[in-house]
Amino acid sequence: MPLLSTAPQRPGPRLPGRGRITVEIRQHVPRWYQGVVLACGLVVGMGLATAILVASGVGLSDLLQEFVIVMVTSRGSLTAVLVQAGPLAIVGLAAAVAFRVRFWNIGIEGQMILGAIAATAIAIHDVGPAPVRLGLMMLAAALAGMAWVLIPAVLKIRIGLNEVISTLLLNYVAFNGLLQLLYGPWQDPVSSFPNSKQYDLAERLGSLGWGDLTWALPLAGLLTLLCWWLLNVSRFGFLSRVAEANPRLGEGQGLPMTRVMLAAALLSGALAGLAGFSICAGVEYRLTQSFFNGYGFSGILIAFLARNNPLATFVTAVLVGVLYVAGQSLQVFYGIPSAMVQLIQAVIVIGVAASDFFLRHRVRWVPGRRPDV
Amino acid sequence: MFDFLVNWLANVPTFALPYALAALGLIITEKAGVLSLGAEGFLLIGAMSGIGVLLGVGDYPLLALTVAALAAAALSLVYALLVVTLRVNQVIGGLALVFLAQGMTGVIATRAGWTSRPVDGLHTVPLGSLADIPVLGPILFQHDPLVFATVPLVALVAYVLDRTMFGLRLRAVGDGPDAADAAGIRVALTRYGAIALGSALVGLAGGYLSVGVAKIWVEGMSGGRGWIAVALVIFARWQPWRALGGALLFGGIEALIPRIAAIGVALPQYLVLMTPYLATLAVMIWICLRQDGRSLEPRALGVAHLREERR
Repeated sequence: MPLLSTAPQRPGPRLPGRGRITVEIRQHVPRWYQGVVLACGLVVGMGLATAILVASGVGLSDLLQEFVIVMVTSRGSLTAVLVQAGPLAIVGLAAAVAFRVRFWNIGIEGQMILGAIAATAIAIHDVGPAPVRLGLMMLAAALAGMAWVLIPAVLKIRIGLNEVISTLLLNYVAFNGLLQLLYGPWQDPVSSFPNSKQYDLAERLGSLGWGDLTWALPLAGLLTLLCWWLLNVSRFGFLSRVAEANPRLGEGQGLPMTRVMLAAALLSGALAGLAGFSICAGVEYRLTQSFFNGYGFSGILIAFLARNNPLATFVTAVLVGVLYVAGQSLQVFYGIPSAMVQLIQAVIVIGVAASDFFLRHRVRWVPGRRPDV
Repeated sequence: MFDFLVNWLANVPTFALPYALAALGLIITEKAGVLSLGAEGFLLIGAMSGIGVLLGVGDYPLLALTVAALAAAALSLVYALLVVTLRVNQVIGGLALVFLAQGMTGVIATRAGWTSRPVDGLHTVPLGSLADIPVLGPILFQHDPLVFATVPLVALVAYVLDRTMFGLRLRAVGDGPDAADAAGIRVALTRYGAIALGSALVGLAGGYLSVGVAKIWVEGMSGGRGWIAVALVIFARWQPWRALGGALLFGGIEALIPRIAAIGVALPQYLVLMTPYLATLAVMIWICLRQDGRSLEPRALGVAHLREERR
């Protein structure tokens, strides 16, 4: 029995009669194995999601139709997915950049709101000449997102306040601020609905001439490349890897770990602000009270599935876009509640998170000996 | 002014109770060394199942509260499986659980048609002449049964954690799981128990939000109270009685909002609604500045235990 000789033995007067399970930490994990485990986690998660959908009355063939066949055969669905993918890719990047340095930015939705508010302020007050207004809106959105994440980042660095709770609380503050504007000074004068008046043409991201696709998608692509360069090529990328693996070691080597974390947090906030801008200026053409709904969570999911890799983030964002679009048609044609999209995302995250156990651990069955040996 | 004060104080217990119960539950979980960011999710599950019982079974508020606690405990086993057995990062696991609960409650309540249907809910306990005492009556004696049960519950949890064998084991697992393991305490089992028990209390708090306060289910109705409770536990330095004090503070702030509106002071509504979150943030900053808040934190909080990794 070769297993017995290699498995760690616990000392003790009595050997266990039955076998037992031992768990070891894996020291080295080959790439192919990472892929296999991730795939298994996805399969388990998607299997559970499928089971939930089937249990709520959608047939398997309907699912195949809505999630796969429609996406490859209908141009309308494909462009709808890509319209969703733009903002999703940007929030995914926002989460990935922050998680890379272990800054748990759960406040992406709040930063999106601030970014969208800043962009809308520029738009409705017609700041600057029309040709540069879009640029001003982008800049304002990025700065506002940054400012909103600066608060929890500084609190973490200066006094050690846990950023999970502070970023989350600031989401609620930002949301109430948004409502204050939309039910107050910014309420649409035409319809009296709680959303801002429509953006002028100069304040919208232009169409790409293919369905509803706008420049939001190329913007997301550009930001993806930028983040890829930052995280994988530049000096900052190297420093962020140290910050991810062992910040205390980096500190000991004289590397500016605090500044790296602050920079990553600010970049994350700026990206989240831009994501808010890309929805308002590229999809809805106004500020609404729910434009950000669900994007914070999707950003976390995308970064988690993409293992904080910017290029993988973009691909994952497209897949989540498929889920969004299919979710909408399931809602219309099968009466599936809109919360189903969130439930499915949560189930997939849980499947993948659980599968990580097998990535980092080796589980072994150690057979027992008979007591009389 | 005097009426305002009496009205406000009479409302404080109702607003403070969800915080007190949720914080109490989180203390149990965290004393065993398990970070519990899933509170917001357990509140939602509890709130929805409570209303589900009232609408689906009948008008039995106490049964509804029991089911709320049990539902949260059942869901918490998923969390326990993730973070105790599978050693998933407790921040990721907690967030995933909140999102799971948000999705689940949204789907179930919509399918079952429970959304926005008012229920009768919990009533005040008739205390006869006690309730008619001019000032003290409304403040102390016109409440529902759960308000009266809360103080004994805090006492019970404080006693069990501090003075019983079970409490000692639980704290041992939270402070030094390796040593506890060596002493023969079953670390994983204790943590499963602490998670289920603590989450049941959070679920009860959620049930109270829907069955006792709002008397209606609306998607996402917990409104961040779970996160405030997480902060409250740090503020209370993981001590049940201090958690009750903190809950009264936060409940007091929240109870002010409708009172101020009721006496006709026109404040910007949504800016006022920010106050509970800003107050929580302010309290967290204050704790961090005092520097001594962390010293009572369970030493193995957020650290998964693995016997084979013991040093």
